[in-house]
Amino acid sequence: MVMMMMMMIPILLVALLAMPAAAGAQTPDAVFANDTLQEIRLSIHSQDLRELRERYAEDVYFPADVQWRGTRVSNVGVRVRGLATRSAVKPGLRIDFDRYVEGQALFGLRSLVLDNVLRDPSLIRERTSMAFIGRMGQPAPRESFGRLYINDVYEGLYVFVEAIDTDFLARTLGDGSGYLFEHKFAGGFYGEYLGDDYEPYKLRFAAHTHRLESDTMLYLPLRDLFYEVNQDVDGVWRDRVSRYIDLPQVVTHVAIETFLAEIDGFLGTAGMANFYLYRPDNVGLHRLLAWDRDTTFQEVDSAIFARVQDNALFRRALAFGDLRALYLDTLAECARVAAADRWLETEIVRAHLLIRDAVYEDAAKPVSNEEYERAIASLVSFARQRPAIVLEAVAAAR
Amino acid sequence: MRLPLPILLTLLILLTGSSPAGAQVPSIRAGAWLRVDFRARVQGDVRASQAPSADHTDQEDGRLDVARRRVGIEGRAARVFDYQVEYELGARQWRDVYLDYRQFKALQLRAGTFKLPFGLDENTSATSLDFIYRSRISSRLAPGRDRGVSAHGKLLRDRLNYEAGMFRNDGDNARPSNSARVFGGRTGAARVTVRPFRGAGTAAASLHLGAAVACSNVPLGFSAVRARTVFGASFFDSDVWIKGRRVRTGLEARWSSRRVSVQSEYIRLTDERRGQSVEDGDLSPLLAHGWYASATYAVSAKRSRYGAIELASRFETLSFGSTATAGDPSSSVRADRVLGNSDRVMTYGASWQLNRWVKVQANLIREQMEEPSMGPLPERPAFWSRALRVQFAI
Repeated sequence: MVMMMMMMIPILLVALLAMPAAAGAQTPDAVFANDTLQEIRLSIHSQDLRELRERYAEDVYFPADVQWRGTRVSNVGVRVRGLATRSAVKPGLRIDFDRYVEGQALFGLRSLVLDNVLRDPSLIRERTSMAFIGRMGQPAPRESFGRLYINDVYEGLYVFVEAIDTDFLARTLGDGSGYLFEHKFAGGFYGEYLGDDYEPYKLRFAAHTHRLESDTMLYLPLRDLFYEVNQDVDGVWRDRVSRYIDLPQVVTHVAIETFLAEIDGFLGTAGMANFYLYRPDNVGLHRLLAWDRDTTFQEVDSAIFARVQDNALFRRALAFGDLRALYLDTLAECARVAAADRWLETEIVRAHLLIRDAVYEDAAKPVSNEEYERAIASLVSFARQRPAIVLEAVAAAR
Repeated sequence: MRLPLPILLTLLILLTGSSPAGAQVPSIRAGAWLRVDFRARVQGDVRASQAPSADHTDQEDGRLDVARRRVGIEGRAARVFDYQVEYELGARQWRDVYLDYRQFKALQLRAGTFKLPFGLDENTSATSLDFIYRSRISSRLAPGRDRGVSAHGKLLRDRLNYEAGMFRNDGDNARPSNSARVFGGRTGAARVTVRPFRGAGTAAASLHLGAAVACSNVPLGFSAVRARTVFGASFFDSDVWIKGRRVRTGLEARWSSRRVSVQSEYIRLTDERRGQSVEDGDLSPLLAHGWYASATYAVSAKRSRYGAIELASRFETLSFGSTATAGDPSSSVRADRVLGNSDRVMTYGASWQLNRWVKVQANLIREQMEEPSMGPLPERPAFWSRALRVQFAI
């Protein structure tokens, strides 16, 4: 009897300790926890679901109910999202919890992106890249892997992504009251000056906050930024440009992208892509925020100065010795962080083990299971080789 | 069509001033077998509002708008048939067109296009209204006119009136032109009114009580029954999927003495939403309802030298939402608890019946939105409007 009681005490203690943890699980962190495979169930009226698939190229919202574990949120808005990854078969989705009910959220999340990662045969580039960016001290959305069911039908493995919004800014930068712009692809844009008219800037930078303010308030600093960027590099270029953008932050952002062999980022092959710009206030400095990293881990031996000359801003920035040194230092730091305790390789393998069964059951993914396995193997190889390749290139460049 | 107010007023005064007081309605008679009375009505409105109207042109406007130009005939044929034919010149629309077989007082039959038996205010002639505009519930929730047949009659020494009929659709109030929205199909409607103290010789003798019901089925779509302010601005967009049974119910009461009258009415309209939840299940019915209470006071006698002057006031509400009360209200097209809105309207009016043909009415209207963000002035919950109507009718 005494023995039984002695055994019960630690069990009770563990249970008591676990109780607050369970209560604390009702936060956004729980949705993005990566030790388990998440699961989201959407209920969408059959007619709406048919229309959503038919009109997948449009940003049309449909009402839905969302269930995450035991929590159900009714009357949320769901729409198809993405650019190159738009699909009727496996649609990437955006959930806005407060679309139809003012102030509604899922544990504080007002929006959630369900990324179909169609461009990534391994399905883990996005989540692994964002984890790496966060590890490098840059703001990055929280992400997790999860199964998506719509009307109890398994739609496939998705990456659940924290939306870049004022809540994200408040969490990562301490303040979300500034001006947030999402870069929109509108033909190749390499940072050239687009003229005095605001329209070309509005086309490429969609305002997500302060939408009711005048174009001058929103876009004058952006227009002036690209005007100053495109002046000759002389004694005042850096001072003038530094009035509009945080150049060291841009250099750091691009260095991380370069380490990850990103081909569709700030130095993308088709121009600048997949980032947000944030300006804390109307006279503050713009900074870059990473978005959509499913085309990283490309060529393991890709050059560290690849496409630098294409970009009007970055080409000029690297002409300054301290910024070039920062670029090389950041690349070297990336290599050390990735290699330390084989962090990057471990992340890839861990993610693979977590999602493997769900990927195999995912009939909507555009690759076979064999192609998926080969993609994972390629990523593991990248993680093993890339740090040394980059360190060698950095040493050569110094 | 818009005419300068002074021109219209001058025309009316000239017309009425030259008419002998005892003049009758223009009429053709063929003994007791045929009677044809000619009718005409012109109404001109001047109105202005702090809020935009349906066409966004009347904000603080003050021009004259000829609201109605109707001509028609009515009368009796072969002793047992009543008939009416009315045409709106402005909209080029037939209005009432019907034949009434009236051989038996207890059972009469009517066929054609006429107002469904539903609503006290809605079934009051436009020339007899105490206010320029009908109540919100009558304009929006009562069915209005449609093509159909009905049986009606008086029983119990005229203490009980009834009318019941079957109609092609659920009335033109719920079927605006140029709309892709859905409305009711074949509609059954019935109205019963009683005057329990009729002939009692007491003040209660004029008491009138009534109830009505109308039922139809609505196909899948967004409802054509819209939430509108007095001047037609939207305060709830009705973008909610409906499908199933549409039921209207109404209650009415009226009492009058020599100088005072009071009247009240309640109308409730529900639309089922079968299979419209996100799980393809049923949602709570969409609900539109409201009531009004009005009172009038005759300042002068009807046959006074200067005509009859009457003061009136009316309070009314018109609300849109759903019957569900649980959960957060939502603007989703598939919400169980719909985020609705309501309009509370206070109208102060004066009517001056110059003679049997000419009537001048002035109304001052205050409207208040429950959810101003859905109304015509999102930053302002309440606003005033005013209207003046000059009516000439024979």
